[in-house]
Amino acid sequence: MGQRIELTDGRGATWVGSVVPRHEFSGDRVLPLKLESGYNVGVRIGPEFSFRRLPDRPRSRNAELPASPSSAGSADRGWVTLLSTGGTIASRVDYDTGGVRPVREEREILSFYPELERGGRVRIVPVFDRLSEDLVPADWALLAEKVVASFVEGAEGVVIAHGTDTLGFTAAALSFLLRDLPGPVVIVGAQRSPDRPSSDGPSNLAAAVAVARDRRIGEVVVVLHAGLSDDRYAIHRGTWVRKMHSSRRDAFESRNGPPLGEYVDGKVELSQPVRPPGAGPPSADLPLDSRGGLLWSYPGLEPARAEAFVRDLRGVILAGTGLGHIARGHLDWIRAACRRGTIVAMTTQCLAGNADPFVYATGRELHRAGVVFLSDLLPETAYAKLLWALGRSADSAEVLRLLRGDRAGEFRMRHSAGSWV
Amino acid sequence: MKAGLEVHQQLATGKLFCDCPTELSEEVLGVVSRRLRPAGGEERTVDAAAAFQASRGLLYRYEVVPTSCLVELDEEPPHPLNEAALDTALSLSALLHARPVDEIQVMRKIVVDGSNTSGFQRTALIASGGQLDVGGRTVSILSICLEEDAARKVREADGEVVYRLDRLGIPLIEIATGPEITSGEEARAVAQEIGALLRATRRVRRGIGTIREDLNVSTEGGQRIEIKGVQELRKIQEYVDGEVARQKTLLAVRDELGRRRAHVPEREPVDVTPLCEHAGPGPFAEASRGHAVVLALPLPGFAGLLRSPPGTEERLGRELADQARSVGLRGLVHSDELPAYGLDDDRVRSIRQRLELREGDAFVLVTDRSHERASHALRRVAARAREALDGIAGETRDPLPDGRTRYSRPLPGRDRMYPETDIPPIPIPEERLRRIRENLPERPEALRSRLEREHGLDAEVVRQIVYSDAEEPFQELTGRGHPAPLVARLLIHDLPAVPAAEPAGSPFAPTVETLDALLTAVEGGRFAKEGIPRVLAALAGGAGSLDAALEQVGLSGFGKPDLDRLVDRVVRSNDDLVRRKGIECFSALMGDVMKEVRGRRDGQEVAEALRRAIARRAAELGS
Repeated sequence: MGQRIELTDGRGATWVGSVVPRHEFSGDRVLPLKLESGYNVGVRIGPEFSFRRLPDRPRSRNAELPASPSSAGSADRGWVTLLSTGGTIASRVDYDTGGVRPVREEREILSFYPELERGGRVRIVPVFDRLSEDLVPADWALLAEKVVASFVEGAEGVVIAHGTDTLGFTAAALSFLLRDLPGPVVIVGAQRSPDRPSSDGPSNLAAAVAVARDRRIGEVVVVLHAGLSDDRYAIHRGTWVRKMHSSRRDAFESRNGPPLGEYVDGKVELSQPVRPPGAGPPSADLPLDSRGGLLWSYPGLEPARAEAFVRDLRGVILAGTGLGHIARGHLDWIRAACRRGTIVAMTTQCLAGNADPFVYATGRELHRAGVVFLSDLLPETAYAKLLWALGRSADSAEVLRLLRGDRAGEFRMRHSAGSWV
Repeated sequence: MKAGLEVHQQLATGKLFCDCPTELSEEVLGVVSRRLRPAGGEERTVDAAAAFQASRGLLYRYEVVPTSCLVELDEEPPHPLNEAALDTALSLSALLHARPVDEIQVMRKIVVDGSNTSGFQRTALIASGGQLDVGGRTVSILSICLEEDAARKVREADGEVVYRLDRLGIPLIEIATGPEITSGEEARAVAQEIGALLRATRRVRRGIGTIREDLNVSTEGGQRIEIKGVQELRKIQEYVDGEVARQKTLLAVRDELGRRRAHVPEREPVDVTPLCEHAGPGPFAEASRGHAVVLALPLPGFAGLLRSPPGTEERLGRELADQARSVGLRGLVHSDELPAYGLDDDRVRSIRQRLELREGDAFVLVTDRSHERASHALRRVAARAREALDGIAGETRDPLPDGRTRYSRPLPGRDRMYPETDIPPIPIPEERLRRIRENLPERPEALRSRLEREHGLDAEVVRQIVYSDAEEPFQELTGRGHPAPLVARLLIHDLPAVPAAEPAGSPFAPTVETLDALLTAVEGGRFAKEGIPRVLAALAGGAGSLDAALEQVGLSGFGKPDLDRLVDRVVRSNDDLVRRKGIECFSALMGDVMKEVRGRRDGQEVAEALRRAIARRAAELGS
């Protein structure tokens, strides 16, 4: 690997370059080469080929990146702790293969984002280095503890760099877990990896760090691009937000109304009431009980299959159709589950608007069976809330009470006519 | 002198990595603004060209047109590579006897001048090791690549550049020759031959800007210079010759600087703003009012060498000014051109004193509202002046309309390429190559002898047809039965002579249908072929139809009243038929009328006139 060679085929065609790792989708007997011109090509090797080793090429001179101020900012200002978890925002590319892998060290992150400390100190704490689709509720619990520890050490705000796939879940879970936050907890991600000159990572992170220094905020928020331009960054409440596009940089949206505010022109502008910082010491409301599930209702979902899914769980969130419906054939197992104390809660897979049991007969029967309707909670938010509530109590009546009650400003009681997203 | 050529031809196959059309647009729906930054690798190194572009810290605005999609906005992963574009590139590879790779790996080439929303251009090496015979010489073909075109620059203002997304992603075939071309004339001939091969595939876009050449020129003792984006074939020779002259001048300046032991001091720029107080009108007026700074750089031993030596257009002063421009300044002023620009003898003297200059020493001045930008500019100027002591700097230059070139950026290195992971490697199986080989288009030389033979045309006329955009319409129009000499005259003589509507307007490009109608009219005797240029000019000037154009230039020998008279006469001479059949005799009479109209009026119009006349006459006859 890396060896510089000259390769000649049976007809005298030659290639000069270094051998690079095979692509996972490369064909049989294909040798990948990085040519002197910089291009990678694949050459299918046959018995008539010959090659000879060449001496290594001297490394070409590169320009240094513009120097960045290291640990700038005045000493009397507080610091922001950046918890890195992996994902696009903290991935780097291997320039030979183009493969992307999460970074593992603080030094590496600062090398991507040398401008990070322009506004003051940032302490970087790697927590784990995983893509967000691989995260599990136990990771949310660990993150909650790290956030608490960061504030106890004196951070004025905490930023969590996170993969975007399940960022919304983590944001909701931390919103329910964390109490009495003395400052903002800002979760940030990127939709374009940092090797791209067009990456949204650097500006999202800069916006997140700025929001983390805002002394008006004492809750969990998510900061990413508000549009396709690199000029506005939305500040979403952790329980309202959802990834609504697989690739756009403005993929994250607050549902059922506008976000809390925006970071624009270097300023944090809040347009909705936010939870102010708490006075007491911060804490994490652990443990989480992961014996909860999330089930999407669809035409053809067999009641037996749904029943089997719920069997070992203490509770399930249903993402129902429309106002919160599921085929009437499911009523039997739902009634039985509710009778034995399993929590069955309903949300709408419309991802906006309320789940409401009283408009149609199906809804009324579900309600009578004991299903709790969680109005405008997103299914993912409801799932995170369920795990938190299950962790709080072994008594299903108490869990139901917790589910219905407001914990983190998660219900939007008023759906303004002008603010439907 | 040695030169190599890179020909870039746009394809009309649909965009390379998305499903958008390859048409340009004048309608703008909105604007997206972005910033780009160089991305460092593990060692925090970035490509020199990329770092330079990023150092300008510009804001990029992208105009979104109705055909733009999320791929073009860097908001969606690329779609699979366009198969028709790949086939075209493989056909070219076969025509140029190049060896295709067995597996294509699309690469990202870092380009942070904003012309790509992603900050890189996707490009893939398709084949290498080919050759081309031109005028008895063989030129090697180093590589055939398939890449995406950049966004179209609309304008550049203070600190921002505006691009339009319509051109971004149009497939480009890039063909690079070896550095074996020895004259500007030969460069032009090679470009012509490659252009004809490309057009033979029938998959290329036509018109200004759809084919662009990069020229790599190096001279004995000089450096490799890349002149990027020459759009006019006939200018190639001029740019190559101009570059040779420029390098010669700079080498002579280097020798003289060496004799004088000239040097560029390593010191911070000197602020001479106070010495420019009350300067006259000109670049220093702002500074004289305290709104800008003036910074100076002493250049000991450079006096007299910043202006053009007698008999040449090139000068070192311009090279230095290009550096100041590259960071956003208007330019610079050097001592060889002073006193002028509002600085009189006294001020020049005091600046010289302040810089402690002696006779034979020169200096340059820059002025800007931002001290930081002005001193950044002077640092670049100093670096370029140092390079002048060694001769010529390897760099990329932009062609200017007057045949000169201007510094654009450092030469990019191989460090700016890495694999595009969103596109898996693309295998090129032998079956695909066989299919390509079996369907290769006719080569230009074969086409030339066939056209000479089939149409009995003069060899020079055929050469002009084959090496221009005229070849495809020529084949189409002669295929429709128009006489070859008339078609050839129209395409290579009359049409190119039509002036563009306005200086900025695109050249007149009538459809084959329009030309078909025009030729039919000439052949039908509606007007003589001598009238063609006037009719074309009228069409170019906005005449909506051929009839309108004929009318406008007074060639419509058979006007609407003439048509009505003719129709009336035919109908009246068939009163019997009209009385018996009424409007049903239309078909029978239409043939007679058309025979006499001889294509002088539009068929639709004739039919309507005839129907009206039959109805009128039938009513008169009381049937």
